[in-house]
Amino acid sequence: MTGAVTVLRWLGRTIVIVLLVILGSTILVRFAPGYLSDAREMDSRYAATARSELAAEAARSRSISQMFVAEMSDAARGDFGTSRQFGVPVTELLGSRLAVSGALLARGIGLAWLAALCAALLSSAGRNPSLMRQAPATVLLAIPTAALATFCLLADCGGPVLVMALLLAARDFKFLDRALRTAWMEPHVLQARAQGASAGRLLLGHIAPSLAPQLGALASLSLVTALSALVPVEVIFNVPGVGELAWNAALNRDLPVLLGVMIVMAFAVTCSGMATPRSAEWKSA
Amino acid sequence: MKLRRPILWLLLGLIVVASAVVATPGASYARQDRGATLATASANHPAGTDALGRDRLVRVAAAFLLSLAGAIAASALTTAAAAGVGTLAAFGRGSLGWGLMLVCDVFLALPWMFLLMMVRSALPLTMSPVHSAAVTFVVLAALGWPACARAVCRGAMQLRTSDWMLYTRAAGLSGAGVVRHVIPNLFPLLLPQFLISIPAFVMAEANLGALGLGVGEPLPSWGGMLFELNNSPMLVATRWVYFPVILLVLVLLLLEGVAAEA
Repeated sequence: MTGAVTVLRWLGRTIVIVLLVILGSTILVRFAPGYLSDAREMDSRYAATARSELAAEAARSRSISQMFVAEMSDAARGDFGTSRQFGVPVTELLGSRLAVSGALLARGIGLAWLAALCAALLSSAGRNPSLMRQAPATVLLAIPTAALATFCLLADCGGPVLVMALLLAARDFKFLDRALRTAWMEPHVLQARAQGASAGRLLLGHIAPSLAPQLGALASLSLVTALSALVPVEVIFNVPGVGELAWNAALNRDLPVLLGVMIVMAFAVTCSGMATPRSAEWKSA
Repeated sequence: MKLRRPILWLLLGLIVVASAVVATPGASYARQDRGATLATASANHPAGTDALGRDRLVRVAAAFLLSLAGAIAASALTTAAAAGVGTLAAFGRGSLGWGLMLVCDVFLALPWMFLLMMVRSALPLTMSPVHSAAVTFVVLAALGWPACARAVCRGAMQLRTSDWMLYTRAAGLSGAGVVRHVIPNLFPLLLPQFLISIPAFVMAEANLGALGLGVGEPLPSWGGMLFELNNSPMLVATRWVYFPVILLVLVLLLLEGVAAEA
């Protein structure tokens, strides 16, 4: 019963957040000073068409409530409206690109976790945190995503998956190293070590269960970080994913596409956020 | 604690050097030397020039100062907003706290880069470079407060149930009086948040600029210089094009070092 209530509460909260994201995004874009401007206005060949389209848009978006209702009905119909830039339903654009971005995210996060876990296990085995072991992660975290992606592209070494994995691995490593270092020093782990328990048994039997809630939070954080890195990585490597679509939509003020992307992102992040309380519940069960 | 001073001194040294470079008579980040486009290092241009013949050293120095000043201002705004919202959420009556934390959740449900892109792209096309720089950092500040507000709210909640707060309330202090005592006690929490936000904002500006959505030309910015890396003829002509990136990484390492030690 308690589980069902928790799931219902989580569902309610997710729906409220997604609705607020739609409302907030609509207000944000509608009241932005550049909403009713178009780059084509600067070109005499397209200026007249652009101005008439903008006038129609101004008439359509006079009221926020009307805009919100229109966006909601588009979402309820399941197509999130029609892209102004491409003239096709937003779901059609999102569908194929979600698969591309999903594959990139899954491979990037998987590789990052593997690398971070191996590095953290090796590093935490040492007595004290070594500057040499921490340095690569520290330097990687100080490189902007766009710069790292550009360097990899120019050097023709690695692709979007490697860039994504490097960025995430650096962040995850710092977190895991600290968590593992603390876990190895827990009194019950120290006693088990003194009694001759093997490292593998300690890791699987004692350390992993105690770290489960933190790993849940890290998984959620990894997804949010990866989603933010998605835009520069996809734009620089010319990957036809959701990040590149959102970038194009942002440059061309394509509100329906932007809203569609925002809703997908909000849903993904809110779902991933569930990992943290759930893992805490499993631990206490 | 041992590392704190050298990092701080190095950062201050960089600021002094950058200020000296920008303040040198005749130095201008926008002046174009058409006879020396894509030049390598020389006596006139110690770090070479860009595709328009502008002095790269002056532009890097100006970008460093602009980015740092903008990030510090944005960080101060974010921290102040977070302190206000967090304290209000912890001490507010009824469902105010719940409502404010829900607003934080809505902001946190969207990855930063998408939010930044959406807001930044919806600004007028005719905006002046100075306004674009100001707006970029104001947008960063406006979107950066929710995570910090959550941490402040947690800290303020602990304070609300602390013994001294109970004594204070029992003594008859309420409303603004309570908040006046709470805010100084939140400083140990607000200072790291302020320092952590600075490198985060510098990096966010660089990433936005690299996507063509940052500070407008001819004003120099880290992002604008990263954008230069897409220019293949420039990369072939001179290796000095990597200089801004190396310096940016160094600056971010120093800023993160300062934040870590605080």
